[in-house]
Amino acid sequence: MTGKKVLVVDDEIHIVHVVAIKLRNNGYEVISANNGEEAFELACKNKPDIIVTDFQMPVMTGMELVEKLRQHEDTKDTPVIMLTARSFAISKEQQELLKISDCLSKPFSPRELLGNIEDILYQKELAIKN
Amino acid sequence: MKFSRSLYATVALIMAYCLLIGSTAEGRTSDADSGLRYTSYAQQWDFVAVVVYVAGAMGVIFLGWYWIRLAGAITSIARLLKSRGINAVCRTGKINIPIRVRQIGVLREAIRECLDSCAAQIADYEKQIKDLQIQVQLSRRREKNTEAIIYSIRDAVIVIDEFDKLLKANEAAEKLFMFNFENSQHMPIRELISNNYSEFLDFLSHSRQSKGQASKREIEFVKDESIRTFDCIVSCIYDKNRQVCGAVMVLHDITREKEISEMKNDFVSHVSHELKTPLASITAYSEMLADGEAEDEQTRREFYSIIQNQANRLNRLIEDILNTSRIESGLIKVNKEPISLAILIEEQLQMIKSYAEEKNIEVTGQKPIVFDQVLADRDMISQVIINLLSNAVKYTQHGGAVRVETQVDEVANLIRVDVSDTGVGIPEDEIEHVFDKYYRVGANKKQAKGTGLGLNLVKQIIEKVHGGRVFVKSQVGVGSTFGFELPLAKVCMGSVV
Repeated sequence: MTGKKVLVVDDEIHIVHVVAIKLRNNGYEVISANNGEEAFELACKNKPDIIVTDFQMPVMTGMELVEKLRQHEDTKDTPVIMLTARSFAISKEQQELLKISDCLSKPFSPRELLGNIEDILYQKELAIKN
Repeated sequence: MKFSRSLYATVALIMAYCLLIGSTAEGRTSDADSGLRYTSYAQQWDFVAVVVYVAGAMGVIFLGWYWIRLAGAITSIARLLKSRGINAVCRTGKINIPIRVRQIGVLREAIRECLDSCAAQIADYEKQIKDLQIQVQLSRRREKNTEAIIYSIRDAVIVIDEFDKLLKANEAAEKLFMFNFENSQHMPIRELISNNYSEFLDFLSHSRQSKGQASKREIEFVKDESIRTFDCIVSCIYDKNRQVCGAVMVLHDITREKEISEMKNDFVSHVSHELKTPLASITAYSEMLADGEAEDEQTRREFYSIIQNQANRLNRLIEDILNTSRIESGLIKVNKEPISLAILIEEQLQMIKSYAEEKNIEVTGQKPIVFDQVLADRDMISQVIINLLSNAVKYTQHGGAVRVETQVDEVANLIRVDVSDTGVGIPEDEIEHVFDKYYRVGANKKQAKGTGLGLNLVKQIIEKVHGGRVFVKSQVGVGSTFGFELPLAKVCMGSVV
């Protein structure tokens, strides 16, 4: 599964950097942002296949970003994986309501993140085909 | 009395007998004209009559004399009682009568017994009065003690009676409900406390009705245009019949406690996030290296460097937490030695360089000055400088600048270090709290993450451990300058101390 576009959002540039390397090494195209506001603009403009975002960020948090994405026509169905350093920060109800595909708690494994991205995109493709 | 009756009867009999004899003698004398034989009889009877009359007269004299003595004795007793009083007589227990009459002795004994009985009764009453006086004194002392306890309590305390009227209130209660206790005693509590405290008054009524031992509720009051939270306790007072005859209200201000609790919760949440962030980088880059995702040597070196920097960041954070706790508890080991501040600043500038480069922030320091030695703990002062530098970089936008300046005031024997940035700045109303533990500037929370410990630790190290001073000046949108002053080390015989 190559050529898919992933938007990585985190205020920690090392996290963005490591996720970007992992994904690029596996054939993904990566665009990145340091906060929610910047990410929303990039998402609307570039229409990524999947978004990986941090939960707590300055300017606009991950949750605020997802809420905004769900209100926009071009991004309302874009799968989102949330990275969070706070356990139980997102309830199951919130996850379902905002259609957050997966939540990974920090510290996370780039390997596991890649596997999850692949699974979600595969499910999405299957759904489109059906 | 028995004796006196006998005496009177005897005297009366003698008198009657004397009179009878006297009259008989006179009769016999009238018959004497009939013969000489009777003359000797008449003379004999005259003699007897004289004797009888003399005896009768003596009896009357004796009775008169006796009466005078008796009256005198009674008068002397009366005078004694009158002049010395019954209490004095009772106290002495003896009545000294100047004359001796046998019968009066009986009377005296009777009076003495009576007086003794009265004296015993009076002594009993006096004892009871003394006991009551002691009890009154004890009650007054207890009341004073209770008042002293109530007045010394920092919480607001109000005591009301069964009719909800004010009995006691301390200074804290006066301040809270804005009344004067001296002018408000026995006034209904609902007249004293304004309707702004209606929730409290309702709680009081509810507690009184429920007749419970102690009711507790957290109530928020708007006081001086700010919301204050009070822990209110109402305890009913009961009489012998278990009926409520009053209530004691204690209002403990827990506003600060709640703020600290919230700050602590916030702190724990932030700390866990802050600890996990560098840990996430370390874990992710280590895994990448293990998985062979770093293809060339340059990438591997970059990964190693990131891991090292993140490990240092993690260590700084842990040191901040531990040192704050150690300084507060006084358990920290301080190792003071002469150190050059310029050298320390240079070391810390190198450490912060990579973090500043990530944000394209220019960090500059001043060239070393001639004498900048201070007697200080190297690790602690390093922590102060790195905390000020990392804060400056953290709250400065991409492309900004951070500058460190050092000045020596030889007159005051001080060295001053300023860390200036072109960052977001701090609102004026929050600037006085920036060194408070767990405090984070509300407007800047979204700008960057933090624990609210760094600046508090700076203050503790500089002021508490090294006797220096910290300061800050800031302007929103322009930048901030954080700094500290430390006393210069003294030079003695070529060595620095």
